Amino acid sequence: MTHILLRELDIPDIGKMEVYLANGGYDGLKKALSDHQPDDVINIVRESGLRGRGGAGFPAGVKWSFVPKDVFPKYVCVNADESEPGTFKDRQLMENNPHQLIEGALICAYAIQASAVYIYIRGEYWDIADHLDRKIAEARKKGFIGKNILKSGWDCEVYTHRGAGAYICGEETALLESLEGKRGQPRLRPPFPASEGLYAKPTVINNVETLSNVPYILVNGADAYREIGEGDSPGTKIFCLSGCVNKPGNYELPFGGETTFRKLIFEMGGGIPDGKQIKAILPAGASAAILPATDEVLDTPIVYGAFRAWGTDIGSASVIVLDEMVDIAWAAKKMINFFSHESCGQCTPCREGTYWLSRLYKRMDSGQADAGDIQTMDAVAAQMEGKCICALGEFAVNPVRATIKHFPEDYERAVGNGRLSRR
Amino acid sequence: MIKEAFGKGVAILEGLGTVFKHVFEKPVTVQFPEEFKPFAERFKGRHELKRYENGLEKCIGCALCAAACPADAIWVEAEENTDEERYSPGERYAKTYEINMLRCIFCGYCEDACPTEAIVLEKHYELSFTDRRDAIYTKEMLLVPPPEGQEDTPRKVEPGSFDRSIPVMEDPK
Amino acid sequence: MADTVKITIDDIEHEVPAGMNLIDAAKLCGVDIPVFCYHPKLGHDGNCRMCLVELGLPRKNRETGEMELAWFPKLETACTQKTCEGMAIRTTTERVTDARRAVLEFLLSSHPLDCPICDKGGECPLQNLTMAHGPGTSRMYWEDRMHLGKHVALGELIFLDQERCIHCARCIRFQEKIALDPVLGFDMRGRKQQIVTSSTPGFNSIFSGNTTDICPVGALTTADFRFNARPWEMVQVATICSHCPVGCNMSFDTRTDRLAGGRTTIRRVMPRQNEAVNEIWICDKGRFARHYMEHEERLTTPLVRKGGMLVEATWEEAIREVAAQLKAAGPNIGAVAGGRLSNEDLYALQKLIRGQGSGDLSAYLPNATGGEIAARFGVGVGTNLKYLGAGDAIVVVASDLHEEAPIWWLRAAAAARRGAELIVISGRETRLDVEASQSIRCAYGAEVATLNAMLGSLPKTAVKAGESLDGMAEAIVHAKEFTADAALKAAAKTIAGAGNAVIFVGSEGLTGEASRELAQASANLLAATGHVGRANNGLIIVWPSANGQGAADMGFDPGFGPGYQPVDKPGRSYGDIFAALADDVIKVLVIAGADPVYDDLTAEESIRKTKGFIVVQEMFLTETAKLADVVLPVQSAAECEGTYTSGERRVQRFYPAVEPLGESLPAWLITQRIGEVLGQGAPSVSAAVLLAEIGRNVPQYAGITCQTLAKVEEQFPDVGGEDLYYGGTSFQNVRGLGVQWPTLAEQVDAPLSVAPAQAGEVLEPADGEMIVVPVTLVYDTEALFFKTQLLHQRVPLPHIGLNPADAGRLDMVDGDLVSLTIDDHRVAAAAYLDERVPSGVVTIPRRLQTQGAPLFATTAPVVKLEKVEA
Repeated sequence: MTHILLRELDIPDIGKMEVYLANGGYDGLKKALSDHQPDDVINIVRESGLRGRGGAGFPAGVKWSFVPKDVFPKYVCVNADESEPGTFKDRQLMENNPHQLIEGALICAYAIQASAVYIYIRGEYWDIADHLDRKIAEARKKGFIGKNILKSGWDCEVYTHRGAGAYICGEETALLESLEGKRGQPRLRPPFPASEGLYAKPTVINNVETLSNVPYILVNGADAYREIGEGDSPGTKIFCLSGCVNKPGNYELPFGGETTFRKLIFEMGGGIPDGKQIKAILPAGASAAILPATDEVLDTPIVYGAFRAWGTDIGSASVIVLDEMVDIAWAAKKMINFFSHESCGQCTPCREGTYWLSRLYKRMDSGQADAGDIQTMDAVAAQMEGKCICALGEFAVNPVRATIKHFPEDYERAVGNGRLSRR
Repeated sequence: MIKEAFGKGVAILEGLGTVFKHVFEKPVTVQFPEEFKPFAERFKGRHELKRYENGLEKCIGCALCAAACPADAIWVEAEENTDEERYSPGERYAKTYEINMLRCIFCGYCEDACPTEAIVLEKHYELSFTDRRDAIYTKEMLLVPPPEGQEDTPRKVEPGSFDRSIPVMEDPK
Repeated sequence: MADTVKITIDDIEHEVPAGMNLIDAAKLCGVDIPVFCYHPKLGHDGNCRMCLVELGLPRKNRETGEMELAWFPKLETACTQKTCEGMAIRTTTERVTDARRAVLEFLLSSHPLDCPICDKGGECPLQNLTMAHGPGTSRMYWEDRMHLGKHVALGELIFLDQERCIHCARCIRFQEKIALDPVLGFDMRGRKQQIVTSSTPGFNSIFSGNTTDICPVGALTTADFRFNARPWEMVQVATICSHCPVGCNMSFDTRTDRLAGGRTTIRRVMPRQNEAVNEIWICDKGRFARHYMEHEERLTTPLVRKGGMLVEATWEEAIREVAAQLKAAGPNIGAVAGGRLSNEDLYALQKLIRGQGSGDLSAYLPNATGGEIAARFGVGVGTNLKYLGAGDAIVVVASDLHEEAPIWWLRAAAAARRGAELIVISGRETRLDVEASQSIRCAYGAEVATLNAMLGSLPKTAVKAGESLDGMAEAIVHAKEFTADAALKAAAKTIAGAGNAVIFVGSEGLTGEASRELAQASANLLAATGHVGRANNGLIIVWPSANGQGAADMGFDPGFGPGYQPVDKPGRSYGDIFAALADDVIKVLVIAGADPVYDDLTAEESIRKTKGFIVVQEMFLTETAKLADVVLPVQSAAECEGTYTSGERRVQRFYPAVEPLGESLPAWLITQRIGEVLGQGAPSVSAAVLLAEIGRNVPQYAGITCQTLAKVEEQFPDVGGEDLYYGGTSFQNVRGLGVQWPTLAEQVDAPLSVAPAQAGEVLEPADGEMIVVPVTLVYDTEALFFKTQLLHQRVPLPHIGLNPADAGRLDMVDGDLVSLTIDDHRVAAAAYLDERVPSGVVTIPRRLQTQGAPLFATTAPVVKLEKVEA
């Protein structure tokens, strides 16, 4: 199959401007500017059914259409704060195929008539930020960025901004706060960023992968894009495969059809090392609920909402594979410690709940926990649910409740025993 | 007539019988003040302000006893402990602690209200005053002496040895 | 009344204002939704999650096209909702009560539960809400709790208990949104998040104490209330702040103190809600400066000079002595009264002096005058700065409100943020300029000319409203002599076009006469544009003391009797009184509640020179009292009762809170006892009786009695009630909101007239000279205030302000010791280079220098003495 996103696998030097241009690069932008009105671009993206790849899966075109027409300036923010445990797809896209992202962002900016694009990159990707800055300079030299882009009369600037290493800044409103120079704390919604975003102006925030899809849609049309993938989930998705697999890495696969966890893990990923049995799958890093690796799970075609029955979704598709040697309570402890460390501290349930849970896991680890503590863990997580300002607090519930539900035996073993670890 | 006289004689004997019976019975009175009657388990007598085993005062001067007191008999004024002059393990102690025993109705609400079990109604009940002002028991009168071998309060302690705002409920080290 | 909508709360329909915050609306309906982070004055933040309710909004059914109530799947925060038609909430369902219990369990999981020793214990929202909605026990292991810093100093006034903090951010939001001093913030994140201060010195804000009131837990506490009393033990006594003309309503919280020998003592000062005056805020000066009242140096017995020494005497002796001197002096007497005295004190004093046939009465400081203009064109009854917003105008002229009247500054800035046009006209840039929409710099002394020019620049149509007034035509003709530049024209246009307009008339750099003309110029401008005689319109004089308006009302103005009634022969002005004293024309001078020797070099010289008899009524042995022949100890405002009249002409009553110290007496009683010996009649039974007498003799005060002053109306938002969510510990006003007396402009067919405002001369410094302008600072070394040790760190060192350009010309750097020779007196202080001081001007902070300074703007040569090595 040819890749839409990981095109360097087909065309090795796609990151170079001349190679990118030679392979249809910036044709999408040219087409948008010459053939389409901004609203048409929004319609094309809406018809393509492209869904946000950051995790929530919200249709990108619909999001763009919420932006008011008569308020200026408007902004596009590219969420490159890739900080979900187990995700490394945006990094590969920005390193190897940066112009596609820049082009996608510019098309989005044109569609909503934004005057600036901000690429918010996590602080640890400082080298990628430098790399992107160079690529942005190249694009500016070619006239794709700046005043009167491609003589269309439309001006747009592209900037990179480095985060300071907070997971919460991947949350779109916290990202905006951070970009404005404030504490990275999520905002209350409404108002949504589409009406009051960056500097209280209409703003579209999309993930790197989402925007990297846009040039393809513009060049090939919405129908061509819909042909890839399945139903409500058109297009391809990059799966970040990691954990107990022989060949971890990014794999781009179309939604639905033959794309299943079995294909991903056993065909693409080369199976589990040392002939061990697969035990569980974390479909979206720490944020989504764990999936027990049953045949039913392994053979379900992957689309958005495919795992609703298990109370989880593929989110950003950072698939972490856990084999039979992994103590799930240990894995849950790691995840809750992560959330406790990354909670911004704004709302009560998340700030206090994640801390409390991390203390309970610590007790379990030290062998002081009793059976009642498992119930307390579940209850504490349950009473965080639905009360937090942003998704971080809601996601922090998942590693606890889902692991207790699906793998109670791992917890029971830890009671009075302690020493949670990978066996 | 004789019958009547006999009847009276019997009555007298009956009466005397009762008298003699009680002569040989154990007396209900005790030789106070040489002797004391045994106390009921829940007898509530005069208050004492208790100390921890290390000799520090339990009272933190929170005035909840005064708030609970239905007779308005207690008066508390608090001050801050310092490492130079430490009375109690927490941040705060009672600088003034007075109970007006004339007002006190020995209901024990103060004991119930006390968060540190500092005030306890003990068994003393011999309270007599010749002046109303004598009925006001000050902190010095209420506070029990430090346990054997422990230094009295206030005392100088190493800085940082007490860093909690209120003492943990069991006896601090 | 705004538009109303119907909302359903717990299946009962209510009608509430549209667009109102749902929590406030529910409260109006008698439904309490518990909150921690929400505060009606601060708005919502949505972080505590305590106000979660089930929320339903009407939505169109896509199939049937009918409106139906759609309930949100999750619980929603009520604080982030605004009322709209058809909104429905449920606050008592199991989901909601479970959520509240969960949030409280979370909050308490890190709370130290040291309520028994916590200063907030007993008036703590967290305690109250835990009792009402919380779980009885916690499932968190005690040893799993986080231990953090206790009693961490944010500044020397405010302490933070990091364990108790529930991260509601009310304090941060108060500092950012209301105090406009964003000096607090969060550090770290998650459970490690803590409040920190970003200023040097720590928590550098004059409103810092308010954060302790609104803190919903005992995390923020004040330095002077630490372990001082339990809240339920104290008795709240209503009082009025005696430090500035705002007249903030406060409470003295008192309790008997064994350690003070059984005296009732003030344990703390709290704001008392009065939405028209101070809402629920007070400044730190009002809150913390109270300590002078119980200072050991307070005078407790009369002092009489014998053999050159002041020695203790009995009241009989002292009064006899004073009365004898007054009798001997006949009409050659005078009085200077400070604006800290109550209306009763002032009335009694003027009665004594006038009773002896003299009209030499001056208020102190004598800079601000124009009470009679405020009586005619002051702000209308019902004025509330809270209601000024978009479309309205506020003008502040010749005043640094932040230093002179902090709460007015706060409210003027808030009005500007609501969209009101804020025009600042002054000789130098002040903190209000940042909030101002139009900043106008004028030379010191050119303020009247500036306002005249503004009036003159207005077209005929804009001044139609004032046409019919007597003298307006002349005033406008006079005003047209002044030329206005574009900025002034724009400012004038703004005022003329404003819905409501208020002018704060200050007196920085002005003499008494000039400030009267400035008030007249302001009145002319307001009257011409129709901004007088109704609520939220008119002028407010920024008096240099709490009862400046009252002093003027009582006739401490050489041109007027009590109530601005005409006098046959005008008395001497302040300057003339001291000149006459120096020449021994005035033989007895009564100085009450004022310390001119400390402030004024000329006054000191006169008192030292005179053979006359000086009587001082004071709390302390001030610099003036040290030179007196008789010193009469008066009671502090906490010990006696009386009334103050605020700059907005609101007469407000304060009540006795503690027992008088020693033999001190109320000032009015001392005065009346002297009068008794002089045959002026027996003293009044009480201050209330005297107030009734004022009501009979001062027309403006007719009908003002203790009863009318004690009237209260329900205040919104309701703070300090049973729930304690909002005010924290601010108090409900139960002892009176005071009475604002009406101006002449509000009365039908009143003989109202204006007059041309005469612009004074702008000082022209000679070569090598500069203009010296005395300015006011909120924290200074004034005799009473400086007795409060707690605030000493905030009082700047003696200094003079100098423009860096001038300093460069004079070869001076920051910190150099410089001297000014003013009328043969020499003042030396460190130079403080400040770009906000205009070139050619030296500012001298009042009551900060080691010796007296000029009272009015003047010129003086600036001589450098030496460099002070750092």
